Amino acid sequence: MRRVYFRRTAMRWAVFLLPILLLAPHARAAGVAFVIDSGAAAISVVDMATLQEVRRIPVLREPHHLVPSPDGKSLLVGDTAGNEMLFLDPATGAIQKRMPIADPYQLGFSPDGKFLTVAGLARNQIDVYDAASMKLLKRFPVKSTPSHVAYSPDSATAFVTLQDTDRLVAIDLRKLEEKWNQPVGKTPAGVLWLNGKVLVADMGTDYVAQVDPADGRVVAKIVTGKGAHNLFLSPDRKILWVNNRAGGTTAAVDPTTLKVLRTYAIPGGPDDIDFAPDGKLWITRRWAEKVAVLDPATGNYQTVAVGRSPHGLWLNPKAPSPAR
Amino acid sequence: MAEPQGPFAGAVMEDVFGLAAGWVQENLLIPLLYGLGLMRWEDIAFGWALFAVYGACQVVVTFAVCLPLEHWRPVERWPNNNAVWVDALYTAISRIGVLPLVTFVLFYRLQVATNGYLADHGWVPPTLERLFPALLGQQILTFALYAIVLDFAEYWRHWLAHRFRWWWALHSLHHAQRQMTFWSDDRNHILDDLIAFVWFSAIALAIGVPPLQFPLLVLVLRFLESLSHANVRLSFGSIGDRLLISPRFHRAHHGIKAAGVRSCNYGAVLPWWDILFGTADFAHDYAPTGDPSGEEALATGSYWQQQGAGLRRFIRSFSATATPRRIG
Ligand SMILES: [Zn+2]
Ligand SMILES: [Zn+2]
Repeated sequence: MRRVYFRRTAMRWAVFLLPILLLAPHARAAGVAFVIDSGAAAISVVDMATLQEVRRIPVLREPHHLVPSPDGKSLLVGDTAGNEMLFLDPATGAIQKRMPIADPYQLGFSPDGKFLTVAGLARNQIDVYDAASMKLLKRFPVKSTPSHVAYSPDSATAFVTLQDTDRLVAIDLRKLEEKWNQPVGKTPAGVLWLNGKVLVADMGTDYVAQVDPADGRVVAKIVTGKGAHNLFLSPDRKILWVNNRAGGTTAAVDPTTLKVLRTYAIPGGPDDIDFAPDGKLWITRRWAEKVAVLDPATGNYQTVAVGRSPHGLWLNPKAPSPAR
Repeated sequence: MAEPQGPFAGAVMEDVFGLAAGWVQENLLIPLLYGLGLMRWEDIAFGWALFAVYGACQVVVTFAVCLPLEHWRPVERWPNNNAVWVDALYTAISRIGVLPLVTFVLFYRLQVATNGYLADHGWVPPTLERLFPALLGQQILTFALYAIVLDFAEYWRHWLAHRFRWWWALHSLHHAQRQMTFWSDDRNHILDDLIAFVWFSAIALAIGVPPLQFPLLVLVLRFLESLSHANVRLSFGSIGDRLLISPRFHRAHHGIKAAGVRSCNYGAVLPWWDILFGTADFAHDYAPTGDPSGEEALATGSYWQQQGAGLRRFIRSFSATATPRRIG
C-alpha cells in the first residue's frame, strides 16, 4: 500500500512538473531506443521520453538484430540480405564503420566478451568470431536456419536454435566443435540460459522446452501460449517474459517455479523485448509496425509507431534525447 | 516536442499496405500456419501477404482508371469480350496469387545464397547504394535509378524474346490477343515468366535490387505497364510519348505487322531505349493487334489451352521444319 501511495504522489508531482521539464530540455529524462525495421531497410531512432520516432538510419537491405559490444562503445547491427555488419554509436546512432559479413541474422557476445556468435539464417551457417579482432574463428554449417543464440554463463558453450529442423545445437567454444545437436520441439526460435538449464521457445507449439545443457534432452515443457517465439529475463531476474507469436500474447513466468503468473495481450506478432529503467517493457510488434511500451502493473501499453516489420530493439536510457 | 512529420511522409502512405498485410498475416495466415504445423513459413507468409496486398491494389487502381478510359475512347469494340476474361485470370495469378509467393521464396533464397557466397569470398555484391553512398536515405532518387536500370534490362530481354525463334514461340502468347485490354499485360507463357524471373535475378545480383523497399513505386510502374495495353485511344502527346510509354506507343508493338522476330517499341515503361537504339516507331496509329502466325488456341483458348499451345510452338521451334518465320 505504501508503494501505491508513493506512486500516486509521484504521478501528481509529475503532472505538475511535466510542463516545466519540457521547457527545460536538458533537465528532461531522456534516452534513445533503436528499433530495427527489418521490412523498411532502416533503423528507427526513437526518443524514449516522447515515444516518438525522431529519424531513420537507412541501411542496405534487411536488418534484423542488434547487440551492444562488450565495451559498450558500439552497437552492432546485422544486415542480412545486405551482407553487412554496421557499427553504430550507441548514443547517437552515427555509423562508426561497416563491415562485409555474409548473412548476419542473429548475433550475440559471450558473457566474458571474448566470442561473437553470428547465426546466418538464410545461409545455414553459424560463425564464431573472436570479438576483439572480429576474426572468424570457425564456421559451422548446420541444418538448418539457425535463428537465435544463447550462452552458458561460463562462456564455454553457445546454444543455437535450428528453426526448420526442430533442433538445438550446442557449440563448445573452447574446442570450437559441435557438442551435441538434439531435437527440442517444433520450430524452435528464442533460446535462453536460466538456472542451469536452457530454455527454448517452440514457435510451432504453445510451450517453452526446458533442455538439459549437458546432453540436449528436453526435461520439461512450460505451456505459455500459441507460437511461443522469444524469451527474456528481466534485469532484476524476477520475471521470465515469453512472447507468443501466434497467440498475440506476452506471458510473465516465475523463473523458479516456471508457472505462468499473468498473460498480457500484445497483438501484432510480439517479438523482441528490452527493459526500460521505469519497469516498462518495450516489445516489437512485427506486423503492426509498432512498438508496445507495456506497463506490467496495469497491463496497458503505449504505442510507438515505427517502420515495417520491427524486429530487434535496444534501449539506451543513458543517452541524451536523439536529435533529428 | 517533436512534430510527427519529418522524414517519414512517404512512410505514412506505405503504412496502409504494410498494416493491411499485417492484418492478413495475423488473422488469416498465422492461424492457418499454426493449425497446420507450418510456422516455419511465417516470415515468407508475411512477404507474400505484402506482395498480395500490393498486387490487389495494383489491380483495383488499374481497373478503376483503365475501365472508364476504355469506355471513353476505345480503339476497338467487340461483339463479345470472352477472350478478355482469360487475361483477367492471368492478372490475378501473377499479381495476387501463386506467382508472388514463388517469386518471393525463390528470389529471396537465391539472392541471399549467391550474395552470401560472394561475400564469403571477399567480394561484396555491388549495390547502387554502395557505388554511390550519397544515395543512402534518398529513397526516391535511389528508386528512380533502379527503375531506369531495370527498365533498360527489360528492353533487352524483350528484344531478345523476339529475336530467338524458341523464345518468340513462348512470347507469341503475349502477342496472340486480338482483344487487347489493360488486363493483357500479364498474359505470358509460364516458361516466359520463368525466364523473365531468372533475367531479373541476374540483374538483381549485379546491382542488388531491393524489391520490397519501394513497393509503392513498383505499383506505379506496374500500373503504367497495364495502362500501355489498354484498349484506348490515348497518347501522351509528341513530347510525352517520348518520355513515358503510352497506350498508343505499345499498341504499335502489338500490331499484327510487328508480331515476329522484327518488331518495334520493345520498351516497358520508358521509350528512351527504343529511341536510342533505333527501334522506336511513333508513326503507327492504333493498328489491330494479334499474331496471325500462331495457333488459334493461343488467342482464344482457355488458360491451359493457351499454355499448351505455347509449349507446342516452343517445341516445334527447335525442329528444322518450323513454321515459317514472319518478318513484319
Ligand atoms: Zn513483344
Ligand atoms: Zn505487351
